Amino acid sequence: MAEVRPDEISAILRKQLSGFESEVDIYDVGTVLQVGDGIARVYGLSKVMAGELVEFPNNVFGMVLNLEEDSVGCVLFGESALVKEGDTVKRTKRVASMPVGEKMLGRVINPLGLPIDGKGPINTSQYLPIERKALGVIQRQPVKEPIQTGIIAIDAMIPIGRGQRELIIGDRQTGKTAVAIDTIINQKYTHNEEAKKLGVQPVYCIYVAIGQKSSTIAQVVAKLHEFGAMDYTTVISASASEPAPLQFIAPYSGATLGEFFRDSGKHALIIYDDLSKQAAAYRELSLLLRRPPGREAYPGDVFYLHSRLLERASKLSEDLGGGSLTALPIIETQQGDVSAYIPTNVISITDGQIYLESNLFNGGVRPAINVGISVSRVGGNAQIKAMKKVAGSLRTDLAQYRELEAFSKFGSDLDKITQRTLSRGARLVELLKQGQYTPVPVEKQVVSIFLGTNGLLDEIPLSKIKHFEKEIFDYIEVNYGGVYEAIRKEKLLSDETISSIKKAAQELIASFKVRT
Amino acid sequence: MSEYKVSRRYATSLLESAIEKNMLDSIALDIELVASTLEANRQLILALSNPIIRPNVKLKVLEAIFKSRVNADTMNFIRFLVEKNREELLNNISRIFLELRDEHLGIVNVEVTSAAEFNIDQIEELKNKLEKFLNKKVRLSFKFNNEIIGGFIAKVDDTVFDASLIHQLELLKTQFLIGGASLN
Repeated sequence: MAEVRPDEISAILRKQLSGFESEVDIYDVGTVLQVGDGIARVYGLSKVMAGELVEFPNNVFGMVLNLEEDSVGCVLFGESALVKEGDTVKRTKRVASMPVGEKMLGRVINPLGLPIDGKGPINTSQYLPIERKALGVIQRQPVKEPIQTGIIAIDAMIPIGRGQRELIIGDRQTGKTAVAIDTIINQKYTHNEEAKKLGVQPVYCIYVAIGQKSSTIAQVVAKLHEFGAMDYTTVISASASEPAPLQFIAPYSGATLGEFFRDSGKHALIIYDDLSKQAAAYRELSLLLRRPPGREAYPGDVFYLHSRLLERASKLSEDLGGGSLTALPIIETQQGDVSAYIPTNVISITDGQIYLESNLFNGGVRPAINVGISVSRVGGNAQIKAMKKVAGSLRTDLAQYRELEAFSKFGSDLDKITQRTLSRGARLVELLKQGQYTPVPVEKQVVSIFLGTNGLLDEIPLSKIKHFEKEIFDYIEVNYGGVYEAIRKEKLLSDETISSIKKAAQELIASFKVRT
Repeated sequence: MSEYKVSRRYATSLLESAIEKNMLDSIALDIELVASTLEANRQLILALSNPIIRPNVKLKVLEAIFKSRVNADTMNFIRFLVEKNREELLNNISRIFLELRDEHLGIVNVEVTSAAEFNIDQIEELKNKLEKFLNKKVRLSFKFNNEIIGGFIAKVDDTVFDASLIHQLELLKTQFLIGGASLN
């Protein structure tokens, strides 16, 4: 073992002491009147700001939420057992804020921006307030670039644009998180060299986990690592064991980090999983702060809680760098009841919603998206031309199929046209099924939907559709490689491409029938 | 309405009428007397806040205590309070009145905590410095606490001027901790 010389130690101590100046320190204080349930009432702190961070003893921090005539109501971000009546509270003179920067990518942090993944401190120099006002009209422009989720049903019929807010809503166990995670995984292609050449800008992802089990969050992080998605993703974790105030601010800190990317001209995607739990955490806080309860015991400003959060998603104008922040909030419904308070609120705030249904899920349609009632109000402008072309007939074909579905039991008693509509519809539904963690690139999606809507799959047995789809992807890759490239580059479906796809399909169908 | 709001309103009106009649000093003295009397006699406070005792009895008690000692205006005010059934707020109102009077005259109360006793010169110097810094008249009160080791802590309302040794040591400790992280 190397020896440590005493003079070395004193040199270090001297160095440390050299910067220390003794001056009168001026700060504002208050006294804790009452504490409990993660809430503290403080007397004094007369000049404190709403939303300001205050410091309690034992390194517990709090945020001021209520300013009253004779006291101040604070929420505690730490153990309330560490704070006693009569303790001194200090002002920090800064509103609750968090560190932001590119270094956050690949990390798991808590809502205050501190790392919790055991990989050491994050070196960032910039701090931004957690609560920021959303941008105005002048600073924005319409959504025009697509965010590819890699899920055929969504990219074709419920397209999402960069800067949009699309709600994912459904009961428990319907694959809401799966849709979100697949979307994050699919953003990997935006970070490679080819995307750069094609002018697709990289999308940075933020996954905000609110009120979930820590084990679930760990699983998500492990999956993201497995698929190499963690390199461009930050996970903000406020698990069920964290105090309600942390769960309440988690989405706002996520939005702050997203805004950092957006404001530096980049593109970011943020997932709030889920906002119903955040609303419940906020309800807890509000009731403890004695704010009057309203419908379902939520406070009066629960709409503002979500609207001010989701309003921060935006597509910036070119003058401001053209960055974007896309938000995918998740809401869990109880027994499919979308008319409850929080679901209706968030539905009305977002630019569309993706409905996931448990009976579809149990029926084997996965992702369990009900395409009949799912909508995207602005994403259509962001779709590439090729997709727009093939997806138009997909929607109508599926609608007709659903209308006639009840008759499908009669089988051969139906006329030819009805039978054809039914078999086409069943094949399309089959095409839209997709495994978890297997995002499909847009060019393949176009090919697949083209085959389905043009009746090229009508001769393939229903059970072999997915098998055939896989084979034709490979077949085209090998024999007609130009097709994918053409769709990727030109973004439209030229006559030449169409004839190539048709030719490839006919060739493969012939051999496929013989083999199976 | 909360007690605080009500008390503040009564105190403000008393202050305003006192200023108008140019009697602030004498009325303030009266109120100081009332406040100290109430503070010293818990029984009196209890009697005033007891709803079973009739207002006219309460008024008689208050008149017996204060009539010969305070101005007619102050007595009128007390009578007015009893009439309005606000006699239990008398204590609060007196306290807030004195606070408001200080505010009006530009006086601040400074609580100085120190480890050792100041001598007269030091007190004078501290007072002058604080008055210059705060731009207000200062009323000092002293407290002793060995835990702060040395130096002093002056508390003006909610603002603390901390020149204590213990605080300096704490700051040094945090600086060492931050410095320690950067050394690694």
